[in-house]
Amino acid sequence: MSQVKSNKKFKWALDFNPKTRTQTTELPSPPGYSQSTNASYTESSKDTDSNLLLIKKLWDVALGPLKQVPMNLFIMYMAGNSISIFPIMMVGMLIVRPVKALFATQSTFKMVEGTQATGQKFVYFIGNIVNILLALYKCQSMGLLPTHSSDWLAFEEPQTRVEHIGGGLSLI
Amino acid sequence: MRLNTKTLINLSVCIYEDQIGKFDWRQTYVGRIKFSQFDTVSTAKKIIVATEENVLAALNLKTGQVVWRHVFESASTGNIQLLAITDKVVTVSGSNPYLVRGWDSATGVLQWEWSLSLENDEQADFSEWWVQNDLLIHMLPVFGSHLEVSMYHLASGQNRGYTSKLPASWTRESTCVLTPPYYTCISGERGSENLISMDVTSQAVQLITRPLSEYVNVETYDGGIGAVDGSSVIPAFTVDDKKIIMIKNNKFEMLTTNVGDALASVALIDMANGPVVLQAWMDDNQGFTMTAHSVATGAELPELRVTDRNLKIPDPEVSSAVCTKSNREQLVCRVLISSGDDSVHLMQQGGRVLWSREEALANVVAVEFVELPVSDLDAAIESEFDQKEGSIWAAFSRRLQTQFTQLQTLVQSIQRGEGLEEDAPSALVRDYFGLHKIIVLVTDVGKIFGMDNLSGAILWQYYEADLDTEGVVVFTRRTARHPPHDAYLTVVGKQEGTGNGLIISLNPITGTLIGERLLKLDVQLLQCTLLHRPDNEKLHALILLDKEENVQVLPRSAAPLVENMFMYVAERNTARVQGYALVFNGQQVEAIRTWLVQLGGSAGAGHRIVVALGKAPGERVHSPGRVLPDRSVLYKYVNPNLVLFLTEGPDPLHKDIVVATCVDAASGAIVAAQSHRRARALPHAVHTEHYLAYLYYNDKHRRTEIATLELYEGKTRWLPAGAAFSSLSSERAPSVERQAFILSGAPTAAATTVTERSLTDKHVLLALSSGAVVEVPWVYLEARRGGAGEDGVVLPAHAPELPLGGDARLNYNRTLARPAHIHAAPAGLESTSLVLTTGLDLFYTRVAPSKTFDLLKDDFDYYLITVVLAGLILATYSTKYFASRKMLKQAWK
Repeated sequence: MSQVKSNKKFKWALDFNPKTRTQTTELPSPPGYSQSTNASYTESSKDTDSNLLLIKKLWDVALGPLKQVPMNLFIMYMAGNSISIFPIMMVGMLIVRPVKALFATQSTFKMVEGTQATGQKFVYFIGNIVNILLALYKCQSMGLLPTHSSDWLAFEEPQTRVEHIGGGLSLI
Repeated sequence: MRLNTKTLINLSVCIYEDQIGKFDWRQTYVGRIKFSQFDTVSTAKKIIVATEENVLAALNLKTGQVVWRHVFESASTGNIQLLAITDKVVTVSGSNPYLVRGWDSATGVLQWEWSLSLENDEQADFSEWWVQNDLLIHMLPVFGSHLEVSMYHLASGQNRGYTSKLPASWTRESTCVLTPPYYTCISGERGSENLISMDVTSQAVQLITRPLSEYVNVETYDGGIGAVDGSSVIPAFTVDDKKIIMIKNNKFEMLTTNVGDALASVALIDMANGPVVLQAWMDDNQGFTMTAHSVATGAELPELRVTDRNLKIPDPEVSSAVCTKSNREQLVCRVLISSGDDSVHLMQQGGRVLWSREEALANVVAVEFVELPVSDLDAAIESEFDQKEGSIWAAFSRRLQTQFTQLQTLVQSIQRGEGLEEDAPSALVRDYFGLHKIIVLVTDVGKIFGMDNLSGAILWQYYEADLDTEGVVVFTRRTARHPPHDAYLTVVGKQEGTGNGLIISLNPITGTLIGERLLKLDVQLLQCTLLHRPDNEKLHALILLDKEENVQVLPRSAAPLVENMFMYVAERNTARVQGYALVFNGQQVEAIRTWLVQLGGSAGAGHRIVVALGKAPGERVHSPGRVLPDRSVLYKYVNPNLVLFLTEGPDPLHKDIVVATCVDAASGAIVAAQSHRRARALPHAVHTEHYLAYLYYNDKHRRTEIATLELYEGKTRWLPAGAAFSSLSSERAPSVERQAFILSGAPTAAATTVTERSLTDKHVLLALSSGAVVEVPWVYLEARRGGAGEDGVVLPAHAPELPLGGDARLNYNRTLARPAHIHAAPAGLESTSLVLTTGLDLFYTRVAPSKTFDLLKDDFDYYLITVVLAGLILATYSTKYFASRKMLKQAWK
């Protein structure tokens, strides 16, 4: 009632504090305007544009370790199985890099929040694990892993004795 | 891991030229003096000696060092029968055939040589030789019948053409003496003996006969006749050890001087004013005594008289003497005295000993390395850590006290430091690396020496004339690690004559008797051993098993400690081994016979034991297995009770066979055995950890071979790690890997290197008859050698002959005469093993089988590294300074 009243009072006055929204809702939509799609469509298309790029970028990061696998395989093949400074350095890098990357997972995926974050993290993790396994396989084929009983021989306790003997050739 | 399968084999043990004599020393000996002569002819004064060890040598008159030396064969072919000095040194050596040789006295070079063989071989041992007027005279007495005398031209060996046979029915064995050219006998019925003498070189037979009663009382006489010692031109002899009779102008002439002591050595020497009788003897109260009397007047020469209470020369014998008058009419005498303990002393007038040589060391029978005690200060520090109880404050005050004493000794050492350092002998305390030890050597004659291993200097000596050293054993019963208790070393031998046990206990650091001191048992000993467990005073008890199979434990209080103790006694000639269990029954220890093994077949097979060798007591085995190329482990069979017996005996088919048998000495079980046909055993073997090696002479191929045995449990352990091994509960037999290799030399001794913790590789040390000591890495003796040496495992290819290269020689160009034994002992450093080779020479060195991995190299450049370090520090600080200046400048811009 008051609205009607005010409308009557000031013909050209603009009321910034409308008490009710009933008036606006009653307004007819402009032509071509679809109530159902409008708001969400524009919003989402804008959103997707930047998000998609980020996701793509993050997938790149997540898949990075897996993409390294063929390269690592090639390096391993080239390094050979002999134990010398360069192969050792390479094997060391092969192990250290994925381990470092695993510890840095949180910081790598810091800005990511979204539906695919867990999947990316998982793929990233798997990729690094695959790299570590490859490096371990390399160590194994180089014979650097203490997997045999001979590797623990030095730590075995020496045997003790029960009986003690003495004697020799007769002195007579 | 793969890395540890890569073994680096250390082959060459060469040293650099400037390292010669740095870690090693050699002492040359000649043996007990048999003949000696002063060589006063040549300008360099020398004494020429011929010894019981068949050595001809020249000793420097001033220092006693060997100028030149010839070592003859050790068998009877090398026996020296005569030493004479004309213009050359003449020797007759061998025993039918004899070799007559002339040597240049200055250089020892052989000048001429001819041989002589006698037809009468049985009597040849009684031959007498002497040189007279460039003629070598050989006399062969046929007792009760005649004397055969032949003369030869000395240099050419030309015979005079005939052998004169002089009738001499008055000669009797063992009562005759030759005093060239006279041959004298006591002959006739008891109570009416005659003294008959004949000049065997004269053409006409002319006898000098006097009744013996003219000189001695025939009723009480029992001393016989003896030639005087020394090299005299006057024929003289002693009768009844009392009277001295000289032959002059074909007449007996009794000297007015009587023999001073029944055991005195009498010598006649020529001097400017007539001949002199020299006598020397050892008196328990007065010590060493030497007197000289003029032959012509019988007056004593006071300037030659010696009585020295402190001089201990048991059974002295005047070997040779020379006296000259100096410009100022003074007597200058040099007397070479050889002693019952095989030492040689050169004495001048007045009794001053110019030098002494300990020739007993040419015959070492047992060796023990003894650790030195820590210094008093270190002992105090160590004892501080031992005291566990007490409050913190007590510990703190103790610490302050020790620090204070440390400071005190430091100040004292600084105060004393000046001027004393050069001649002060290095203190007998343990060094940081444990390289300094005392070597205790027991010699054949019964003299025991303590020797510094770094310098080879003799620190103490102890002579026991009653000690028969056949089969002697030495035990370290307490090391010097247990202050305040002294180190304790026991020598178990036999008494001369009776063969009863003789036990000498001494402190190996000082050489003084301690504990049981000198203990003469009244029973013969079968065997002895050391109790593995120490008593309250950290002393390991000595267990003696005597002929009646009674057991004696010394000290007696340790008897209850005997537990799980077994003994074995092997009879050398019957090859029978008897095992005993030692049981404490509440009062005493009993030996119960447990097992008996007859080696080499039945009792009558004629086998004899050459070697019985167990493991070193207290041996440590570091690694329980060895790694194969496929990285699995082959576990070693390390039975601490295993004993290797090497027997040889006749075989109907193969002439001689050698059998090696490994017997568990606790249970009597035979663990492994192998035999070699047509071979003879050599008394050299090594036995350590899981492997054994022994030497034998292959008769078929006429060469020496070394056979090795390695015992393994297999790829799995029989017992869990750290479990106790019991011989009585082990039923499985180990697998044996065997191999034999040909040696290019003739070994005379074998041993392995020993290190503190057995981490280091073990090398086999072989002494060769050529005078070399060779180090052979065990890899070369392994049975697996030449086998599957896959991926990177360094195994030398199989070759039947063992390389004994010149670069494996430990003693580089210092050839050793007759090396007989090698003894190795651990040093405090894990990498290093101390090695002593005995024989005619002593040679000490240290070896590092896996190189000195725990020690900086000998030629490490301390100077360079100091300079570099100082330079780096300087550079760091200077750059810091410059950098800060630059920063400041930049900040102002």
